[in-house]
Amino acid sequence: MTQHSLGKLLCTTIAGLLYSCSPQRTDTDAIRIRWSHDPETLDPFQSPNQVPLDAVNLLHLGLLEVDLTRLKYAPVLAERLPTTHLIGDSLTELRYTLRAAAAWDNGHPVLASDVAFTLKLMFCPDLPNEAARARFGFIEEITTTATAPRRFTLVCRGQSLEYSVASGDFPILSEAAIDPRRQLRRYSLRALQRRPVTAPADTVLLGVARRYRAASPDRSPGLLPGCGPYELVKWEKDRYLTLRRKTNWWPDAGLRPVPAVLQALPKRLEYVIIPDAATATLALRRGDLDVYPQMPAREYARLQTAPSTSNALRLYSSLSYSVVLAGFNTRQPALADALTRQALSHCFDAAGLLKATQMGAGTRTVGILSPANRMNYNDSLALVPFDLKRAAALLRQAGWQRGSDAEAGWVRTVANRPRQQLALRVRYRAEETLFATAALQFQAAAAQIGVPVTLLPTESGTFSASMQTGDFDVYVRTLNGNPFMFNFTPIFHSEGIGAGNTTGFNTLASDRLIEAITTAETEQRRAQLLRQFQALMQREMPVVPLFFLPNRVAASSRITGLQVSSLKPGYSVKTLVRAPQPSPAP
Amino acid sequence: MALLTPAFRLWSQWLAVLWLGVVLLVAALAPVLPLPYSPNSPDLANIATPPLGAAGHWLGTDPQGRDVLSILVFGARTAVLLTLPAAVLAAVLGALVGGAAGFWGNATRLAVPYWLLGGGVGWWALQLPIPLLGLGVAAGGLGVGLLFGVRKQRFPSWPIPLNAVVMGTATTLDTVPRLVLVVAMAAGTGVSIPGLLVLLTLTSWPLPARLVRAQMLRVRILPFVEAARAAGISPQRVWLHHALPHALQPLRTALPLSMAGLLGLESTLSFLGIGLPPDVASWGRLMATIRNEPSAWWAFTFPALCLIISIISLNSLSRLRSTLEE
Amino acid sequence: MVGLVFRRLAQTGLAVWALASVVFLLSYRDLDAAVRLALPDATEATAGPGAGRAADQATRQAAFRQRLGLDLPLFYLSRTTDPQLHWVKWRWNGAHNQYHRWATGLVRGNWGVSFRTGEAVTARLGRALSFTLPLTGTAAFLAVLCALGLGQRLARRPWGHSLLQAALVGLHALPLFVVALALLLTLANPEVVAWFPAYGLSQATDADLDTWSQTGRYALHLVLPVAALTLTALPELTLHLSGALARELRSDYATTARAKGLAEPAIIRHHALRNALLPTITLIAELLPALVAGAVVVEVVFALPGMGRLLADAAAARDYPVLVGGILLIGAARLLALLLADLLYFWADPRIRWHS
Repeated sequence: MTQHSLGKLLCTTIAGLLYSCSPQRTDTDAIRIRWSHDPETLDPFQSPNQVPLDAVNLLHLGLLEVDLTRLKYAPVLAERLPTTHLIGDSLTELRYTLRAAAAWDNGHPVLASDVAFTLKLMFCPDLPNEAARARFGFIEEITTTATAPRRFTLVCRGQSLEYSVASGDFPILSEAAIDPRRQLRRYSLRALQRRPVTAPADTVLLGVARRYRAASPDRSPGLLPGCGPYELVKWEKDRYLTLRRKTNWWPDAGLRPVPAVLQALPKRLEYVIIPDAATATLALRRGDLDVYPQMPAREYARLQTAPSTSNALRLYSSLSYSVVLAGFNTRQPALADALTRQALSHCFDAAGLLKATQMGAGTRTVGILSPANRMNYNDSLALVPFDLKRAAALLRQAGWQRGSDAEAGWVRTVANRPRQQLALRVRYRAEETLFATAALQFQAAAAQIGVPVTLLPTESGTFSASMQTGDFDVYVRTLNGNPFMFNFTPIFHSEGIGAGNTTGFNTLASDRLIEAITTAETEQRRAQLLRQFQALMQREMPVVPLFFLPNRVAASSRITGLQVSSLKPGYSVKTLVRAPQPSPAP
Repeated sequence: MALLTPAFRLWSQWLAVLWLGVVLLVAALAPVLPLPYSPNSPDLANIATPPLGAAGHWLGTDPQGRDVLSILVFGARTAVLLTLPAAVLAAVLGALVGGAAGFWGNATRLAVPYWLLGGGVGWWALQLPIPLLGLGVAAGGLGVGLLFGVRKQRFPSWPIPLNAVVMGTATTLDTVPRLVLVVAMAAGTGVSIPGLLVLLTLTSWPLPARLVRAQMLRVRILPFVEAARAAGISPQRVWLHHALPHALQPLRTALPLSMAGLLGLESTLSFLGIGLPPDVASWGRLMATIRNEPSAWWAFTFPALCLIISIISLNSLSRLRSTLEE
Repeated sequence: MVGLVFRRLAQTGLAVWALASVVFLLSYRDLDAAVRLALPDATEATAGPGAGRAADQATRQAAFRQRLGLDLPLFYLSRTTDPQLHWVKWRWNGAHNQYHRWATGLVRGNWGVSFRTGEAVTARLGRALSFTLPLTGTAAFLAVLCALGLGQRLARRPWGHSLLQAALVGLHALPLFVVALALLLTLANPEVVAWFPAYGLSQATDADLDTWSQTGRYALHLVLPVAALTLTALPELTLHLSGALARELRSDYATTARAKGLAEPAIIRHHALRNALLPTITLIAELLPALVAGAVVVEVVFALPGMGRLLADAAAARDYPVLVGGILLIGAARLLALLLADLLYFWADPRIRWHS
């Protein structure tokens, strides 16, 4: 075939295609929201990341749920927040009452037995519930009474202010749907928790696990009923996920007035999976997409200045609870002392980085608590300035001496130890330009005072392995937080070494302080301790908190009622409304 | 038809030589050139500024605030010191193994004592069960070989599956996704310049090997090769002096193209989230910034132009001989 | 000949098996990263009360390993080194090992389940292939057709062929994502021309349309990705073919044919093309495994589901069952392609003797 006829053929085909199906825009009531990747699983106990959580929270309800706009836990299936009763000095009892109106889709009420079943399922062997086990391992036992089927008591190990909200944040599953013969009632929660991994297989438990897995929405949507406002219509993996608002959702009929957390306005939600940011922006501008949450800084800045934006799009932003920080590997002899770490912290130009990478949005911080959290943020501390002279002075104070010529770098001799040379390897996730910019800035600044820095951008899987094995000197990453939980055991306690404590930082004082924070009796006392903790961390400087990232959402101007939130996913999906009259295209 | 005259082609080839010379010169002189900015220090006050925009960034800055001109200059250095050697090494390695595989196929035979010797030493080196057994087998093979080799006796021989080994290795390297391969290799060699050189060479030799093997399948049965064999020249000499030069023909097109492929590979790697050290300035990665910042045309256009001109120059040089022949 | 093909097929099957086994053993040898990535990140500040001890994490990882059978020994034999004596010890584990379970499952068509989602690997790969094959297949077909046409034209050295050649070389120098993004930002951009859809294959709302419209929309969604893939595959094929043709046209038999008064196109078609195809066949054979492997860059830019994205995600998350399954498929395609290429060499130049 010659090129000529081939070209003709191509042209005719394309023209035919264009003619037969010119892109007619189908206007439906579905609100389309971008996800950057597939949720992979909708199993309520196994949420590898934020995306499946978004969907699970629409399909299922918990006892309590975060009110994204007020940043508080609010009762959902429970009537009100639980009442706390301290038993001795090592146990807590939480008493819950379920809403009388709460019901499954078939009209049967949600009962305490469902809560007990859900908790037991979290410790049932042969299920992908390892994550849930970690989160709810503190609930030791649940006691229900036959006379009051909506009341139950959770017995928790230890005492903590956070128990009252942390104990209610899991989706409740229906016992009747998965375990109609009520076989799991034979086991106590405590017995399931204490079951060793190596225990011989139990046919009853295996049977329950099999039925649960068969009902998982990955395989057959609709078998695992939730009492949430939405049901799964279709899930094409790596393409889209469609949810439909139930017409017989229980609060519609059973609750007057409907509390804010139990509102669900959109009739139909379509989450579309678009991995590439540029493509997603294009889809938003074309009107193929209605909401684009967690927008990258530069895309957002470009939309802000684009003339076509003003009519068609609306941009929202708030401060998030994700902090960008650099961490030091305190197990390295050169970084084992606080003075050296303090000196190096002066090499980060946090203000410059904030301006360059976030276009000035976001907030600098003294610690890993958000400045938005006014009660706990220690505002008496000063921000770490970018000051290379001070850095060099602190290095000298730490016992380092600069070699005679420029190439020699810094060395120090400590008694009975080999001579130390100050040379750093910075590791960060390769796909994120923010980290690369921070690392480059640190490298350039350190070079000015004669500290050689090697950059090691690392693929994400290898990165987490290097963090665990301590194969780094400095890392740059983000840390996600929230305004409710202040348990720093995983990341800074000596008990977290080998798991989440990647810096290897531990001192007696900090361990005690972390323990005191988790067991503080009142919020005032906890705030006081948290402020002490921030001061301690700034003195010891195992991590250099740079700034809190902003959260950016762009939405079509036809969408009203979008409320941004500082917590992920960054907006409240249940309040979205599509305006009846689409605004004229620009 | 003026475009087709040999004079024009010679002229364009002089241009190509000139351009490549400039690139080489810039690469060699990069550290001493009076550049206003270093390629690695970000200018946080000027992120993604257009050319001639501000503060002496003549060609603008990339989305990380690095000077585009400096990256271009040091990128030329990387291309000359890393990409070119990697492409040449891959072509040489590929030509040797692919040529051997095509010439001998699976048919070369090796006498049994050598097999015993090799197998035994391998067994011992890998510390398979009872390592001494391997040493024993090796010693046996050596002994038999020495004993009977002196008497010029012929042994039964086993064929070496040369073709199968080469093609199998190439297939394995090609089949395992590049992401996995590069991560695995980077864990071993580390991402330094020599490590990168090894990595790029090892992942890119299979294609030249396949091309040369395909051509060799044809060349080895051409009359002059047959004639050389019949003349009693040893197979190794026939292979090296007679067959291989003709089997290398496809590489003349492939080598310049593989340079582009290697430069592109680097940007694709950062697309997949495997970074090469950012202090190794590179044209490929500068081009890749268009993904984060589609409006920064300058960060894309300049390296793309440099790359395209270099590839076209290399390509036209690879046809130099055919022009002179005409 | 037929017997030989069957023997080669059997060899190919063995080679695929060996390749998959090697990849399986190498990847499963170090499962720590996979286990860590399948469980939630311990290094976040959102931990609830009572969580976060290293001992708890070890228990969780043990439970995960047990659930997926990863606590078994890896292979029939395992090797341990005595720390004091440096004496290597070998241990026989019997059939109760991970490799045996994987291999017997594979024979029965059970390729294992994904670490992350628990879904069967065959289902995931099958779904991904059903999206990838139409995309890459069309692109490969178009690229080969265009290359044959263009390559023959270029070999005849028409007016401006140097410029066309330079343009092809320039196009080759552009990475795939640049071509894809350029197509997207010009042909699907409301500010330039929005002829084509920007992402995906079809929308959820399309399910109500009739089959013809659905097919039409599907094809429309494929135009840009196919164009991007074709444009990047085209230059190398064309340049190789035209280079080889130019060499053949300088050879003696072409001169003879010219002397006989044959027209240039006829010489190319009847004499030179067959000989020039040899290196091109190698490149075309490279396309077949690429069909199965998908094109991660195009899939990401145009938000298409497919093998490329599946495998890249699996590699990033260390989801080894999916990864090994994918490698098995691609390896099979590649070895078959090699076999096919060898057959084609034989067809293109019967003088090539077949060496087994």
